[in-house]
Amino acid sequence: MAATTSSNLPNRLDSIVGTDRVRPPTDTEARAADTIVEPVSVEEICEIVRMCEADRIALAPIGAARSLAGIRRSPVALGISMARLARIVAYEPDDMTIVAESGITVGKLNAAMAGARQRLPVDPCSPGMTTLGSLIGAAHAGPLRLSEGTSRDLLIGVRFVGHGGNLVHGGGRVVKTVAGYDLMKLMGGAFGTLGIVTEATFRVCPTPSDYCLAVVPYARAADAFAAACILNDALPLSNLDILSPALATGFHSTSQFLLLAGFSGNPLEVGDQAERIRDLVSARGEILSGDGALRSYELLRDIDFHSAPLAAQIAVPPASLARVLEACGNDTEFRAHAGSGVAQIIMAGERSVEAPARTIARWREAARPARGNLRLIAAAPAIRNSLEFFDTPNAGALALMRRLKAAFDPAGIFNPGCFVGGI
Amino acid sequence: MSTSTIDRKLLDELREILGADGIVSRATELKVYECDGWTVEKSAPDVLLLPRSTAQLSAILAALHRRGIAFVPRGAGTGLSGGCLSLNAPAMICTSKMNRILEIDFDNRRVEAESGVVNLHVTNAVKSKGYFYAPDPSSQVACTIGGNIAENSGGPHTLKYGVTTNHVLALEVVLPDGEVVELGGPAEERCGYDLVGAVVGAEGTAGIVTRATLKLMREPENHRTLLAAFPDADTATRAVSMIIASGIVPAALEMMDQLIIRAVEEAFNVGLPLDAGAVLIIELEGLEAGLTTYADEVAKTANLAGASSVRLARDEAERALLWKARKRAFGAVGRLAPNYATQDGVVPRTCLPRILRVIAEVSRRYDLRIGNVFHAGDGNLHPIILYDEREPDQVRRAIDAGREILKACIDMGGSLTGEHGIGVEKLGEMPLMFSPDDLRVMTELRHVFDPMERSNPGKVIPQPGACVEVAAPRRQVPI
Repeated sequence: MAATTSSNLPNRLDSIVGTDRVRPPTDTEARAADTIVEPVSVEEICEIVRMCEADRIALAPIGAARSLAGIRRSPVALGISMARLARIVAYEPDDMTIVAESGITVGKLNAAMAGARQRLPVDPCSPGMTTLGSLIGAAHAGPLRLSEGTSRDLLIGVRFVGHGGNLVHGGGRVVKTVAGYDLMKLMGGAFGTLGIVTEATFRVCPTPSDYCLAVVPYARAADAFAAACILNDALPLSNLDILSPALATGFHSTSQFLLLAGFSGNPLEVGDQAERIRDLVSARGEILSGDGALRSYELLRDIDFHSAPLAAQIAVPPASLARVLEACGNDTEFRAHAGSGVAQIIMAGERSVEAPARTIARWREAARPARGNLRLIAAAPAIRNSLEFFDTPNAGALALMRRLKAAFDPAGIFNPGCFVGGI
Repeated sequence: MSTSTIDRKLLDELREILGADGIVSRATELKVYECDGWTVEKSAPDVLLLPRSTAQLSAILAALHRRGIAFVPRGAGTGLSGGCLSLNAPAMICTSKMNRILEIDFDNRRVEAESGVVNLHVTNAVKSKGYFYAPDPSSQVACTIGGNIAENSGGPHTLKYGVTTNHVLALEVVLPDGEVVELGGPAEERCGYDLVGAVVGAEGTAGIVTRATLKLMREPENHRTLLAAFPDADTATRAVSMIIASGIVPAALEMMDQLIIRAVEEAFNVGLPLDAGAVLIIELEGLEAGLTTYADEVAKTANLAGASSVRLARDEAERALLWKARKRAFGAVGRLAPNYATQDGVVPRTCLPRILRVIAEVSRRYDLRIGNVFHAGDGNLHPIILYDEREPDQVRRAIDAGREILKACIDMGGSLTGEHGIGVEKLGEMPLMFSPDDLRVMTELRHVFDPMERSNPGKVIPQPGACVEVAAPRRQVPI
């Protein structure tokens, strides 16, 4: 078990990184870590890890600190800020691959590729704040997961500092490689519990020339989901999302459920899809194009669940999503990625922090019959001690996960105590 | 390799579990299982076990575990890297009798299948409703889902759809001690570590997969398939880069060089241009409304790059014929020489012209014919090295030539394998790509599933002293 603090930690860090790169945490960071260090090289991280292993000091990688600040019951002793490891290492547009350090944000990465009309098509909330480390570690994804997949599908190489302060790499720099074990998959969604990702290689893709967004209101959630099902069956949509009334207010004046179906391609494809969407789901809604479509899409993408007093992500087989959300209760507001079976949910209004354990139990109960799972995205500090943030995997899988954690983190220092089964 | 480890008592116990028709122990019958599509090395197991259920498989693994006996999993034996070569593993466990599709769930676009189900049978079971299973290796008429999972197999259409790991949601795995575990689930997000992602591509070293939940894809509305002929391979590969740079990502972008074109024409007579130095098969798919524009743009780009002709498949029959030519190219090559070894290196797409020049030079220097038929769109080469295994010097040259090509791939920033796996073929080259620390961590991962290294021993991670005899001639595995 890792010690949570070490009184002379800043002094010890000074000897590795110098005095100016050890600092107290910001407000958000303070929920994740007691002290922040800002290494400028992978070698410094390796040394910090060795020091922390020797002294059993708990540490965690920090980007904007939103993911860990939302779910840690108590801060780790040391947050390793990746802010100064944020360079693009290699970008070759004709190979459609990009290699970058994990402290760069998705927004900056995409800005660097905009000239070549390419992008990393993973769209977490506020890409300008989401670092690659966070994208991978917390498995963030957004509306485009329907058509483009998630970072799991696009991450083709990874470097991380593992136990012993060793720099390890898996995968490669080409769009297709199956050499060696798939260490990328292990790092994805591991919340920094197996090591500190320092560099990632992604396959990227061309940015479509045209994007439109159909916005259609429905009085009943069931009707919105039924329409989504018809559209998903008929068209290769870019995104297909449904917002509950309280989350839809930014888009529409009426208090209704909102279906948002994005589609892209060349002008002929986009024109064809617009026409077919009008035919399929009636002409009640509107179809946005150009900047209007992009602005609304960004509004949808950037709905902030991290700052909610209680927010969770539920994942079920797609056809069960409507039923599961209904079972979550009328007081549950949601953004549903309808074709993917994934939704982010919050409690409406003031009721969000009343009896949170009961609320989460109800949500879990709703997901279970569909063989789905739930994890908390955020909970207010006052209530989080009583909550289980992750579902517990079945006994056989959990035993393997514990063995994996013990093998990759024998000293138990990598973000301990906040992952599945208390890992 | 020891033959004494499987004694009569154990054989009786295994027969009790599997029944008389679930076990093969006669040496003459076991010859069939001495290699896969990587025919350079051969080594038959002492016994072949053919379970029909997870319960049977769990029971036989528990029996082997009690005696500390290693085993090698096998699907259809179509692998190309020696992944199911019996290497210090007396028992081979073949999943071919576990071949039921258990559930098709169109609403959720999922299929649950036993691991011995043939790849193409999944698509055949769902295509009437307009769905398909995306990974489409050339051996898809024979290879199994379990084998695909072990090797993380790809195929021509992985340019658009990704490899096997992108299409597997859940697995039932029997661990080497016989314990049955469920990993992943039917939802897209996972609970805890992505152990499914760790098992896919582990080349059978994490136990034996018995069941998989696979994703189905919706058939695109339509296709355009083009055949572009070029005076030489160099021009063809430059066209590949130009097509990709134009912002169009085809569903598949395949290349065949002159040696392959001639072999395919001789075998199947599909109308490929015999005077071409290389051809590209370019498939676009999506909504009918946009396809003509994309096809015109691709044709224009190919012409600009120096194509001597660009032909659009007129109908589904012509499209099917082109794909038949591509997917059976390996079989056609079988007519040119008694043996061949297929490599699987990957280079960044922009390095394709350079690597093809290296391959041509290696071919000259080692005095071996090498054909190229490969996934040009993702830089995944398949140089086919022709040799005659009756001449030991040719075998040695074929192995050395292959290694030199792989080393060149790595030097260009590429990979040893895009979809065939390391197997035994590329074990020796792993240190070119991975440091001792990388390999140590991979070994730690392996031990999570298989602490005694009894599941497919000697694969993926090189170990000193683990090699088999470069072997006596037997047969060419049909691909």
